[in-house]
Amino acid sequence: MKSGQAEIMETSKGIQKSGLMSRRIAILEFILRIVAFFNTITSTILMATTNETLPFFTQFIRFHAEYSDLPALTFFVVANAVVSGYLILSLPLAFVHIVKSKTQNSRILLIILDVAMLGLVTAGASSAAAIVYLAHKGNNNTNWFSICQQFNSFCERISGSLIGSFIAVVLLILLILLSAIALSRRH
Amino acid sequence: MKNESTIIDVPAESSSAMKGKAPLIGVASGSGGYKRGLSIFDFLLRLAAIIAASVAAGTMFTSDETLPFFTQFLQFEAGYDDLPTYQFFVIAMSIVSGYLVLSLPISVVTIVRPLATAPRLLLLVLDTAALAFNMAAASSAAAISYLAHNGNQNTNWLPICQQFGDFCLKSSGAVVSSFVAVVFFTILVVLSGVALKRH
Repeated sequence: MKSGQAEIMETSKGIQKSGLMSRRIAILEFILRIVAFFNTITSTILMATTNETLPFFTQFIRFHAEYSDLPALTFFVVANAVVSGYLILSLPLAFVHIVKSKTQNSRILLIILDVAMLGLVTAGASSAAAIVYLAHKGNNNTNWFSICQQFNSFCERISGSLIGSFIAVVLLILLILLSAIALSRRH
Repeated sequence: MKNESTIIDVPAESSSAMKGKAPLIGVASGSGGYKRGLSIFDFLLRLAAIIAASVAAGTMFTSDETLPFFTQFLQFEAGYDDLPTYQFFVIAMSIVSGYLVLSLPISVVTIVRPLATAPRLLLLVLDTAALAFNMAAASSAAAISYLAHNGNQNTNWLPICQQFGDFCLKSSGAVVSSFVAVVFFTILVVLSGVALKRH
């Protein structure tokens, strides 16, 4: 009987320890979600407030640049806005995961949504990156000129807003990994 | 005198041991079956994704086009290496196809041992990274494809598809195939997530 009691006590300590680990994973997830939200909302705002008008004008050349001039940048703004909205809406669910112990089905739902949002934000960030690269370097073979030589601050702004979005991509991958680890644990 | 008692003394350890073992065996055969089915589906999806990714890389690699006439001033050759984004696309899709081929043995391990969580977790992480990489290549090439088809008036970028029809068609087809591979990856990640669930 004594060995049986010792077994029960050891098992319950083990359950407590792994419960603590699960709670730590859930808290880390919550924090990462908040950080990713801030990154995506910053990217959205930075890109959406691009507006540069050069101080001189002629009849033929355009001297105004904003994000809606390039469809890839518009898609970037929309994608990042959607993902930041999703991240803020998933915060209550992540909070429930900290408190509650049997969270497997909601974690699967969260993985599915996280994967979809990862795809969306990666698509937005990469297409904007391709266009920003073209704006910086141009392309001799297709006669596409680099517009950054004229629009300096516009170019700097669109390049800078990509950083937050790519950080959010990495954070979303980490979030999916954490959800998977939490799913595969015993508790 | 013999003490004949009708009370049966069941030692505590053996009863708890029996209670502990039986449900494990019951759960193992039950969930092992459906997890094995998920692993087989995972393996087949991986094969399909290999085809999609390698078709994308191959089509973009062989999308060269040379127009049959020439003048002194204009370019009449178009290939994937004229655009750095398309170069990135070919390299990325090749890496993704290579990764998929290398992940086939791990998928076989999850078929053989359906209850082990370590191979599935590894596959989930690597698949997520490959999904992000694939999506990056596909969407940047799609942005350039869109530009090649439509041009952009605000930046004076002319659509090159009007001259290079074949090149445009092949490169757009490669981008579509790459997005199909992305869909396969999404399903693979979700599948691994569902199969990781412990009962």
